[in-house]
Amino acid sequence: MKPRMKAWFGALAIAGTALTAQPALADVKLEFVVWNYSIDTIQDNIKKFEAENPGITVNLTDYTWPDYQDSLLLRFRGGTQTDVVYGGQDWLPAWAAAGYLAPLEDIAPAETLDALKKDIAGFALSDMTYKGKLYGLPYYADTISFLYNKKILEEKGIPVPTTWDEVMAASEKLKADGMERPIVYEYNQELPNFFDAFVAQTYSRGGDLFDADKKAIFDNPENAAYQQLQWLADAFAKGLVQPETHESKIIPAMNTGKHAFTIVYNYVLAAMNTPGEQALAGQFALAPMPGSAQSTLGFTKFYAVTAKTAADAERAEAAWKFVNFMAGKPYKVAERWAAEKGLGFGQMPLFQNKDVIDAWQKWVDVPTLEKQVASARAGTWTEWTVIWSAYFRPLLAKAMVGEASVAETMKAGAERWNMMQARFAK
Amino acid sequence: MSTIERFPAAWVLPTLIPVALFTIYPVAEALWTSLHQVMVLMPDQPFVGLENYKTVIFGDYFADALRNSLLFVLFCAPLVVIIGTAVALFLRRPFFGAGIVRSVVLLPWVLPGAISAVLWVWVFHPSFGVLNGLLKSLGLIERSIPWLIDVNLVFVSIVAAHVWTQVPFAVVLVMAALSATNEEAIEAAKIDGANALQRFRFITFPQIKAMIVVLLIYNALTAFTAYDLVYAMTGGGPGTATTLLAFQIWRESFSMYDFGAGSAVAFIVVAISALLILAISKAMPSDLFEEA
Repeated sequence: MKPRMKAWFGALAIAGTALTAQPALADVKLEFVVWNYSIDTIQDNIKKFEAENPGITVNLTDYTWPDYQDSLLLRFRGGTQTDVVYGGQDWLPAWAAAGYLAPLEDIAPAETLDALKKDIAGFALSDMTYKGKLYGLPYYADTISFLYNKKILEEKGIPVPTTWDEVMAASEKLKADGMERPIVYEYNQELPNFFDAFVAQTYSRGGDLFDADKKAIFDNPENAAYQQLQWLADAFAKGLVQPETHESKIIPAMNTGKHAFTIVYNYVLAAMNTPGEQALAGQFALAPMPGSAQSTLGFTKFYAVTAKTAADAERAEAAWKFVNFMAGKPYKVAERWAAEKGLGFGQMPLFQNKDVIDAWQKWVDVPTLEKQVASARAGTWTEWTVIWSAYFRPLLAKAMVGEASVAETMKAGAERWNMMQARFAK
Repeated sequence: MSTIERFPAAWVLPTLIPVALFTIYPVAEALWTSLHQVMVLMPDQPFVGLENYKTVIFGDYFADALRNSLLFVLFCAPLVVIIGTAVALFLRRPFFGAGIVRSVVLLPWVLPGAISAVLWVWVFHPSFGVLNGLLKSLGLIERSIPWLIDVNLVFVSIVAAHVWTQVPFAVVLVMAALSATNEEAIEAAKIDGANALQRFRFITFPQIKAMIVVLLIYNALTAFTAYDLVYAMTGGGPGTATTLLAFQIWRESFSMYDFGAGSAVAFIVVAISALLILAISKAMPSDLFEEA
């Protein structure tokens, strides 16, 4: 072939490659899957991302919260294109072990990730880490909180309880004074929250349900979880507890003024203290979780990238840009969720953000919350925790209402945990 | 000889194919699943024989779920039939606004189970519930009754809700059966001095007993496989107080992600349902479906 012809063919090949490659680069359409909370805000965030990143569009799919994990698993197993998802600390080990998600180290620059990690709360970092690798950046992170009605306690001359014994004594006093059921408790064995709240109470006593080898130790009567379950069973037996099936029912229940204490996710406090919407807004406050350690459970929902996407360089790059926009510096999206919706965050610098503080101090004492977030601990999340928790929660519920003994419940729960650990180890 | 007699299989094929597709295949798939370890989070699906059946039967929930399901059938099926028959007999009489009342009676039937559950949660709710409010305003109680939390009362609550949803269908079927009864015989009995109970027992009941049996079997099966109402009202709780077998299928499959165990419970439910039908059918007189 003559050199001139070669040059023509070469030029044509380059032009052809450029022509075919350019539209692909310009047309990455990410599939983003979420649960259906504040879809309008998510869509608006997506619009902003698309404006800043021409060539990348994002298609949003949402499922209801109860259907979310099932729907996502079906998408993963069915091979439906899914690029970025909302992940959760409880699901991560199973999803990562099954190869559905990719570590961010595979798609993001190491120095950027290192800088982001430094800003993330300890429990949140732990929640998003599996086998030493980071699988997400926080969408929101929160703690389980002990909330009380300030006005009721002040009127009755009851100090804010700092231990579970004090909570019991205060509740008994309130009951004796005519309050039918001073404690409202989210009692729904089908919700993961039900187990999470129990773990938070165990942490507040300075204990844990598992040892360093992840063996179940809560069947020991000296264990904090065992003691806390006994405490709950006693409180139910004394008629101090008003069970509610969902946090959305706790908000109006607390606003009747017929109850003084509750244990819920922190964002519920924002809803309880919303003026104009709630009758007793402003009367509710957060106290450190009662107990010698005053620690609690922290949890994190995060943006994660699927393994299928990570394997495709172009999609991986777009997915990382999107995740970094939603959860990375300067934390504008996380700030928006916090300021507008009262969602918690894992990015600690936001505690110094004026807009966030201004918005949050309307419903919570920010320094108290910051202290709680800093001392919060992550849960023990393994490949089998979610399955085991589904098994254990009804047992827990039975024990609380006196349908089973604490000893039987803890024994059955521990045996099941150890059996599942052995099964998954195989 | 006609084509249908020469090639009978070819003629039933259009019916057999959908039946095979929508009934035999899913059932066979479920049987296969119950004999394998099928967990969403585990990639392999090894054959485990009867291990899933052993696990669920000797687990912490099966005995409670079986007991609750049988009790649920025992209370719900007769109650639905008795109330349905009584309402149908009442609605059969001509009275002002009968047409409207007949339509309103059907309302619970057209409501999805989850909606009915929400309505009943608000009836039984301890703080805002209609029932407690009513009892308090009548001065019958001072403190709220924890209908959905007390392990004994909660069962009564779900029975009440389930019966409420099923009665309209019973009313429709009994009214259909009543429309075919011999009015002249009833008139004659009236003239002979038979009271209402006697007229029902000796004249009406023999003419509608076939329908009553069908309703009894139908309601026994409906109660035995009840799921949505319980799921939405109590989530099977508190503890296992309202855990029914059908709910346990869901819990094993979609809460614990063990489809093998879930399918094993499903097959146990199928077996018990078959036994239930056989038992009820055997208990009925042999001339049941003959002309009265």
